[in-house]
Amino acid sequence: MRRLYLITRDLHLYCGLFLSPFVLVFSVSVFYLVHGFAQRPAPGASDTSRTVVILGLPPDIVRLQGRARVDALRPVLEQLDVQGEVDFVRHVASEHRLIVPVRLPGHDTIVSVDYDNRTATVTSRHQSLGDALVYLHKMPGPHNVDVRGNSRIIGLWRVLADATVYLLLFITLSGIYLWTALRAERRIGLVLILAGAVTFWGLVYVIAA
Amino acid sequence: MSSQLDDVIASERRERSTGDVFLVWNRRLHYFLGLYLLFFCWLFVFTGLLLNHSRWQFAQYWPNRAQITTEHEFQVPEAAPDIERARDLMRQFGIAGEIQWPAPQPAGAALAFQVNRPGQVIEVKADLASGRATLQRNDLNAWGIMQALHTFTGVRAADTRNARDWTLTSVWALSMDAVAAGLIVMVFSSYIMWYRLKAKRRGGIVALLLGCISCGAFVAGLRWLI
Repeated sequence: MRRLYLITRDLHLYCGLFLSPFVLVFSVSVFYLVHGFAQRPAPGASDTSRTVVILGLPPDIVRLQGRARVDALRPVLEQLDVQGEVDFVRHVASEHRLIVPVRLPGHDTIVSVDYDNRTATVTSRHQSLGDALVYLHKMPGPHNVDVRGNSRIIGLWRVLADATVYLLLFITLSGIYLWTALRAERRIGLVLILAGAVTFWGLVYVIAA
Repeated sequence: MSSQLDDVIASERRERSTGDVFLVWNRRLHYFLGLYLLFFCWLFVFTGLLLNHSRWQFAQYWPNRAQITTEHEFQVPEAAPDIERARDLMRQFGIAGEIQWPAPQPAGAALAFQVNRPGQVIEVKADLASGRATLQRNDLNAWGIMQALHTFTGVRAADTRNARDWTLTSVWALSMDAVAAGLIVMVFSSYIMWYRLKAKRRGGIVALLLGCISCGAFVAGLRWLI
């Protein structure tokens, strides 16, 4: 029993320390999200822009949809030296253009592909640290599921975000186990769990009922 | 001489006891906060996982919603800003929640808005000329309620048309702030507790560095690479 306690305590400590920067990222970004602080101006005319001739644009790029279109555009983006997660692809048929926003935490790029003339205009902008935190908080998220995780960066972040969840569940459960070993703190701990439960369920009841 | 020595000892005792009290309360604060915020943490952690895996079949809620459409007559509100008219209509229909405005409507169109609360989305379309309204009510299952609670803030960055207008949204937003602040305090209190454990310092530094490097690479590292 003592051995289990010591192992749990060490795992709680080391997992918690590893996890702490992720918890800080998710917690600090909450303030931005809850109060709508992270204003993210889209790259505009004033930002650095360049026009490049595209080699090897897939001929059926317009007919492709969803993930297949994003995957077909990936070599083009690599040729343009644009890295990051493709948010979505918008086809402006009247202008013979594909608008491709590509994002990294704290950096936005908009690639406008003129598929008739085989040129691309690349406009990019650095965003604030707050925007980077918010972006990571929301990724991969429930939207555009078909295309989400199309870059290695967000693919890896998805793994880390999941790991954060599982480790946090472990941290809470191991924390409860460690608290039960503190006999002197059991009563106050029970009161706090009960108070937390009443607050939580009370709020959920009045908001959702 | 003796008096000076007494003063030094007393001062050291005071410092030691103040430091000890701080350490005791730092430790207590760590698990008091952890125990109080337990259910909130479980909600946000678990729904975060669900939001990142929206293809998981068991947690689908939108296709499984119960939808009811009803027609109502109402007393046409007096000329007032749209928000006041919407509130008047909600009072008449007996509904409550956070008002969400769609994209601006052309002049003369029906007054259309959504009333949201976790687990329920009501779309209101009110014809102010005829005094008739259509209410489309979508009731979500428990998975829908949980996921909505994760994102229920009433505001979105760069959305100037919508503002938080329901008291309970503000209360929930405040509780989200409190959970986030509580977690930040828990992180820093854990650093203090760990630093006091000399035998665990080396292992702790390795764990913390691994976390900082892997997380920092995403937060700040990527922008330096570009």
